[in-house]
Amino acid sequence: MTSKPRKTRKRPRLARRDVIVPKATPKRFYGHGVPGVDPEKLTGKLVVVEGADGSGRSTQIAMLVEWLEANGHATVQVGLKRSTLVSEELEEATNGNILSRKTLSLFYATDFADQLENAIMPALRAGLMVLADRYIYTLMARDLVRGQDERWLKNMYGIAIAPDAVFYLNVSPEQLVQRNLAKTQSLDFWESGMDLGLSVDMFDSFLEYQRRMAKQFQHLQKTYDFTIVDGARSAEEINADLRAKIETILAGA
Amino acid sequence: MELPAENDIPPSADGRALAGAWSGLETSFPFLFAGGLRSLRPVKKSVSKHKYPGRLIAVEGLDGSGKSTQIYLLKRWMEMQGLKVFFTEWNSSILVKSATSKGKSRELLTPTTFSLIHATDFADRYERQLVPLLRAGYIVLCDRFFFTALARDVVRGCPRDWVEGIYNFAALPDLTFFFRADLEVSLQRILAGRPQLKYFEAGMDMGLSSDPYESFRIFQGRMLEQYLAMSTEYQFRLIDANARIETQQSLVRKLVSAEIDLSAFAFPED
Repeated sequence: MTSKPRKTRKRPRLARRDVIVPKATPKRFYGHGVPGVDPEKLTGKLVVVEGADGSGRSTQIAMLVEWLEANGHATVQVGLKRSTLVSEELEEATNGNILSRKTLSLFYATDFADQLENAIMPALRAGLMVLADRYIYTLMARDLVRGQDERWLKNMYGIAIAPDAVFYLNVSPEQLVQRNLAKTQSLDFWESGMDLGLSVDMFDSFLEYQRRMAKQFQHLQKTYDFTIVDGARSAEEINADLRAKIETILAGA
Repeated sequence: MELPAENDIPPSADGRALAGAWSGLETSFPFLFAGGLRSLRPVKKSVSKHKYPGRLIAVEGLDGSGKSTQIYLLKRWMEMQGLKVFFTEWNSSILVKSATSKGKSRELLTPTTFSLIHATDFADRYERQLVPLLRAGYIVLCDRFFFTALARDVVRGCPRDWVEGIYNFAALPDLTFFFRADLEVSLQRILAGRPQLKYFEAGMDMGLSSDPYESFRIFQGRMLEQYLAMSTEYQFRLIDANARIETQQSLVRKLVSAEIDLSAFAFPED
């Protein structure tokens, strides 16, 4: 206690800013929804970040969490294969490539439903910001690439809540290859679509599979209204786009 | 023990067995037919018979209806004739079973996840076992088919359209027998043999009653309603499960012979 702290003329902007209370907007389910759940009571916001491995999803989500928490919003993060119920078994199944397609598809849906009911909906009910690292769209796109019936998928995922925002980080397959190799020095079996037998060459298979995935995302965009974000730019530039959109959502737009 | 035979279904081998059964049901369950039989939904166009060379026969019914005994006798009869027959029970794959039992023991399951995890299990058996057998020209006998899941999920509150949509990848059986015992008879058989009721089996997750036995009774009653509600659409052959075992088996064998040219399914002679 020797000297008074010097009065700073310019405090960081964040600290001076008032915490904005988000405007509650009604939620809806894509289809039948979940028995016994009233979407009106889900007052939090659901923001989804979609994109291939290496598209920068986790970087963007980490930056959004920083920004949201600084602004006084509590956050929860969810992602695929993270359910209490089946995540371990799903991991084992994908590692061993032992389940056939319909079965794997239903297993992923179970994982999603478990997180929807036990993580996403309770958080939304409590008014939190839920950040989802991928959502039903990735699951649908993967299945569509593998020839599953679209109506079947839409019916099944009619349990899902329509998010407040969906960002699709669009990165070309050629760039994805470079990013994945730079990061892990290898390509993932499933992200290369090796189960499809597109090519015995993993590099070729990866490029073709990612092209097909991108095509399915474009197709799904017509129904599900994503914001397509150019993922080839710097992380800061991309994040500025995401924040601008999320601000309009918090304001109740 | 001689079982009471109320609302007996006339044991005839033709379609009248079904019609007879319906008139009996209408009297027993008037609430199901408030608008008459015509108000039932028309047969769905989306579901169709399979085009595989094999044949699929399923048995359905409440626990304790005696359906497993009947399908076992049917299987023995076919084996004696040297037919390509395969019997499948709902034994889960190890992987799916691990998740299912975890969900059940920790009571993690909601109606939606309960439905999806069982659909996963069904799909696994269907894709790995049933389809290859049907393609190889086997007569496949199933102790329970997806109708069990459908009835159970709808009782738990899942929308019927949603559940039916999920199972629409599966071919419909060529013949589905529904073994209809009086609710009290089924309950007696199970409750006498297995006094410890499991949590989900008793429908305890639904909050019907805090007493497992009472909950089980209510749950089974609602299952029966659901089965009967889907009976026409899925063309169940109703068998009176209160009748003598031999009477039932005789009817089952007649109906199978009438529907399927069994001689076409004999193992080729070397």
